[in-house]
Amino acid sequence: MALRNTTRRWGAVAQLLHWLIVALIIVQVTLATLADDAPPLRRLGLLARHKSFGLTILALALLRLAWRWANPTPELPTTLRPYQRSLARFTHVMLYALLFAMPLSGWMMSSARGFPVSWFGLFQLPDLVPKSKALYEGMLTTHSALACVLGAVVALHVAGALVHHFVKRDDVLRRMLPFATSSQGSGK
Amino acid sequence: MTGKARSALTPAALLAAAAAVALARAATPGGGIGHYALDPAKSTLQFTFTQAGAKNQGRFARFPVTFDFSAETQAASRLEVTVEMSSITTGDQERDDTLRGDDLLAVAKYPQAHFSATQFTRTASGFEAAGKLTLRGVTRDVRVPFTFRTATENGTAVGYMNGAATLHRLDFGVGQGDWKATDQVGNDVEVSFALRLTAAR
Repeated sequence: MALRNTTRRWGAVAQLLHWLIVALIIVQVTLATLADDAPPLRRLGLLARHKSFGLTILALALLRLAWRWANPTPELPTTLRPYQRSLARFTHVMLYALLFAMPLSGWMMSSARGFPVSWFGLFQLPDLVPKSKALYEGMLTTHSALACVLGAVVALHVAGALVHHFVKRDDVLRRMLPFATSSQGSGK
Repeated sequence: MTGKARSALTPAALLAAAAAVALARAATPGGGIGHYALDPAKSTLQFTFTQAGAKNQGRFARFPVTFDFSAETQAASRLEVTVEMSSITTGDQERDDTLRGDDLLAVAKYPQAHFSATQFTRTASGFEAAGKLTLRGVTRDVRVPFTFRTATENGTAVGYMNGAATLHRLDFGVGQGDWKATDQVGNDVEVSFALRLTAAR
């Protein structure tokens, strides 16, 4: 599999970034859920990892956007209706936006609380905003609300991929899967 | 020799002169021993600790200090610091409550920490106090390097004392049970102080 994208298929780098972020988001949800009911010290440890992984996602999201700009984007099937194209575009824009908004709102939440953020204890990041109780509470609400929005958009994204694969029987899901071969591979 | 000169040698006059010299010494930079007490409004006692890999800070609001000090000889010098542990603040109510709790500072049982030093030495950059720190019921020898300078402000002798020392919280049992782990809350706590002291007597 080529590293770079073609107009028909995602390359290895784009696939790796996609699936790595999927895995990290699952880790994030798990850590956040566990932290909710944990006693103070355990909570501290869980949230420290949550923040470190969140920063990792932020960095990977930046990398992903840069890679996307530097590569061709596989085209949507010509069979899609205009509203379906719009829906696909909306879902993807939202996903990218949330990949930035989630970590940034979390980072701001920490800064506003007065808890500086470290990346796996290796280095400390600057505070994004000054300490403020009102801002902390605002960011806590924002971060939680965005998590719900992310859940909904991911559901839409997965539903879309499954419809493409099982209903429309096109290539859209397969071209993001590392081990699947493309049925439209002729146009390399 | 005049009658005026003779009258200056009366015991009362000698005492007055001696008292004047003693007062002048207490108030004069570098001159003999000075007796000082804390100016709480212009003094800070802070600490820096590692939480989840990041540096966090806190301070104590109430920590009376008395300091008798001869910068010249360091003889008959004495530093007494009492820290009201419940006055701890780290800027986060939830964290402060946790810190005051039984597993950490246990302020209900150990309301005060105390540092007492009578041994002082001059160092390249200032002084060092060797004393005993009692924290959470555990007493240990602690050395505290510091700088000290005196000044006269509005006719009053003042002293500025600055320094820092790193403590290991677990040496004092600050961290029981799960809190003995140091991966999320580090063992090293850097305590620093910037004190303004005023002549006490």
